[in-house]
Amino acid sequence: MLTRLFKSRGVGKFLRNRLAVGALVIIGMYALVGGFVVLGDVFPGKAGISLKEVEEPIGPPINFPGFLERAKPEKRAEVCRFYIDEFKRALRSRDPDARRENLKQIRYAERIAAPLEPEALDTIRENAEAIYDELSESENLDTDPAMLPVIEKLEAECAKFFAPITGWNKVKHDLRWSLGTDRQGRSNFVRGIYSIKVALAVGLVVAFISVLIGTLLGASAAFLGGWIDHAVVWLYSTLSSMPELVLLAVIVYAFSGTMFDRASSPWLALIPVYAAMCMEFWIGPCRVIRGEVMKIKELEYVQAVKAVGFGRMYILIKHVVPNTAHLMFINFSLLLIAAIKYEVVLSFLGLGVKVGPSWGRMIQESTPEVINGFFWQIGWATVLMFVLVLAFNIVADALQDAFDPKHVG
Amino acid sequence: MTRPILNIEHLSTCFRTDRGTVTAVDDVSFDVFPGETVGIVGESGCGKTVTSKSIMRLLPPRNSFIKPESRIWFRTPSLRAEPSEPSRTDAPTDPSHAEKVPRIDLAHADERFLRGIRGKHIAMIFQEPMTSLNPVFKIGWQIEEALKYHTQLGASDRRARTIEMLRLVEIPNPEKRIDEYPHQLSGGMRQRVMIAIALCCEPSVLIADEPTTALDVTIQAQILQLMDNLKRRLGTAIVLITHNLGVVAQVCDRVLVMYAGRVIESAPVHELFHAPRHPYTQALLGSITKAGNKQHGKRMPTIDGIVPSLFDLPKGCRFQDRCKFKQEKCASLEPGLESAGDGRLVRCHYPLLAEHSSQLTLGATR
Repeated sequence: MLTRLFKSRGVGKFLRNRLAVGALVIIGMYALVGGFVVLGDVFPGKAGISLKEVEEPIGPPINFPGFLERAKPEKRAEVCRFYIDEFKRALRSRDPDARRENLKQIRYAERIAAPLEPEALDTIRENAEAIYDELSESENLDTDPAMLPVIEKLEAECAKFFAPITGWNKVKHDLRWSLGTDRQGRSNFVRGIYSIKVALAVGLVVAFISVLIGTLLGASAAFLGGWIDHAVVWLYSTLSSMPELVLLAVIVYAFSGTMFDRASSPWLALIPVYAAMCMEFWIGPCRVIRGEVMKIKELEYVQAVKAVGFGRMYILIKHVVPNTAHLMFINFSLLLIAAIKYEVVLSFLGLGVKVGPSWGRMIQESTPEVINGFFWQIGWATVLMFVLVLAFNIVADALQDAFDPKHVG
Repeated sequence: MTRPILNIEHLSTCFRTDRGTVTAVDDVSFDVFPGETVGIVGESGCGKTVTSKSIMRLLPPRNSFIKPESRIWFRTPSLRAEPSEPSRTDAPTDPSHAEKVPRIDLAHADERFLRGIRGKHIAMIFQEPMTSLNPVFKIGWQIEEALKYHTQLGASDRRARTIEMLRLVEIPNPEKRIDEYPHQLSGGMRQRVMIAIALCCEPSVLIADEPTTALDVTIQAQILQLMDNLKRRLGTAIVLITHNLGVVAQVCDRVLVMYAGRVIESAPVHELFHAPRHPYTQALLGSITKAGNKQHGKRMPTIDGIVPSLFDLPKGCRFQDRCKFKQEKCASLEPGLESAGDGRLVRCHYPLLAEHSSQLTLGATR
């Protein structure tokens, strides 16, 4: 069947559509990144991105801007102040062992405290604090150009707190900071990337299960007829009479207070989302495939295999369902987009992803930032989602064009 | 004398419709002997296809049923090895018959049992070769599938047998064709594949429901020739359903003529064509057009009137409204299927005399 698929005109037609191939490449890149992130769950700390890494701050709990914008002097001073205070707290103790222990605790992703004696670090801190005091002379740092060299001096002093980072770690560090931090000092870049995994996981699982349920129910309803058909039609009519989002929200809400709500594993915590979406999204494929099977079952080859002696269920599974494969493909790609979008919506409402980041949560958390003109978090989450959904839309469209029997020939 | 492999007694098939129950096949009886070809002819809607599907029990149980008095006795030596249904099976009571071959009533057998009969003992081919093969599977796979279900052959044996079957139905280059999909084959080739699927398990009866209607004339002749050859080679009995009298004349041994759900005449093919006894048969033969005869400027001979609706059958003979020889008795009493000598049966109060009818027929066709 697969070889025929690749030889078929549909695939050729699809590959001639340059836009669709480009979109497919983009989806492939997302899939690679998503796969890389998953490695973090399999080998935590060694490869990929683990949940712990995502939730850890990479700097002070301040919204720090990413590329395109230089941080304002006020903010830069604030960051230095945070580091000075951090080291002050670590070095407060008189006991040298306790000091060393405290210094070991200071860790921001790749950055760790410089391997100097505590006394040396204390000197750096005193110098930095002296420079910081100079800043207090100014009324408004942001509008005072005279203070800029002082701030640069302060930043150079504070940089001595940390061991210099080199090579691969430097690349990782720059990437982490490339899109700034959120109000808890976590990297926007890493959180957005990690959310690709969440989005793809929800999309793939939901689309696969929904198409499976929809195909089985739709095909058996049409093929077996009678009360099964009535039951299935009644079920999907009832479900589709309710607004999609309301129904999703209600089903997810019904899970609150259960073990999934308290689960610490991001996989377990997603189960209510999967369940709600699968309960809702099987309707689309079910309806389409029911119609197709009603057509197919009247075709002569179904009669012909019946005359060879096969039973009804065998004919349904082996002869009828494979003939609906093109509809399964198209529905799969459509449901993937729908699932990703609804995951974001649900997470935005606080009902979807509860452990770890997701684009919906990032957008929700960025509400106060946007008021302050800080657009990195919402921008990054939106761009990632937009590109993925757009790419899938283009691919789904091209699939439909290429495999719709009405256009072939 | 050999026993019939299939004897159909009083077969009546009814459909439930919104307008009430309609009897599409009414009290049809006939025998099929091993190795013979029986033709069933008639106009569209006369019940030919319903008869064939009733024998295979392929009609949807939801809206159709076979009347309880109907019997479809099927008899084959290899049935003894099958788990047969004791209630409906009866061994022949004749002690002089050496071979005790059980027979089984297909009309009331259960679905499970029928699945062992279909394809293995009675196979069927359909009218439309373009849609009779599943488009997503290779033709080889589709033949092997039947072998897998009905035989114990291993994978390599099945493939060898499939190639052999394709060669038997005269498909060129079967080793290559086996891996092709139906859309890569022409209509005639597909019908050959259908015949290969039907015959791969060596059934004792092949029901062909208008096998050549959708094919062009040269391919028709090839397919008929092929079926005839295979019948001789494998000893399969064929029930050929068609509305093409030319096809009947070419391959059949005996012919049943059906009209409005009833058999109206049954005769060996030669006798039927030479001396039809029923006015309908005669009119049917009269409406065959022939190339090169002196009919220029004349209207084509047709049968006036239309087939009566099955919902509204006339009292008496069903053909009365269109019959040229109608008399008073025809309108009040339906004739029975009476013997007309030489193993012929005819359902008419006033069957045509042999000389008379042959003259009429020849006059019309010449």
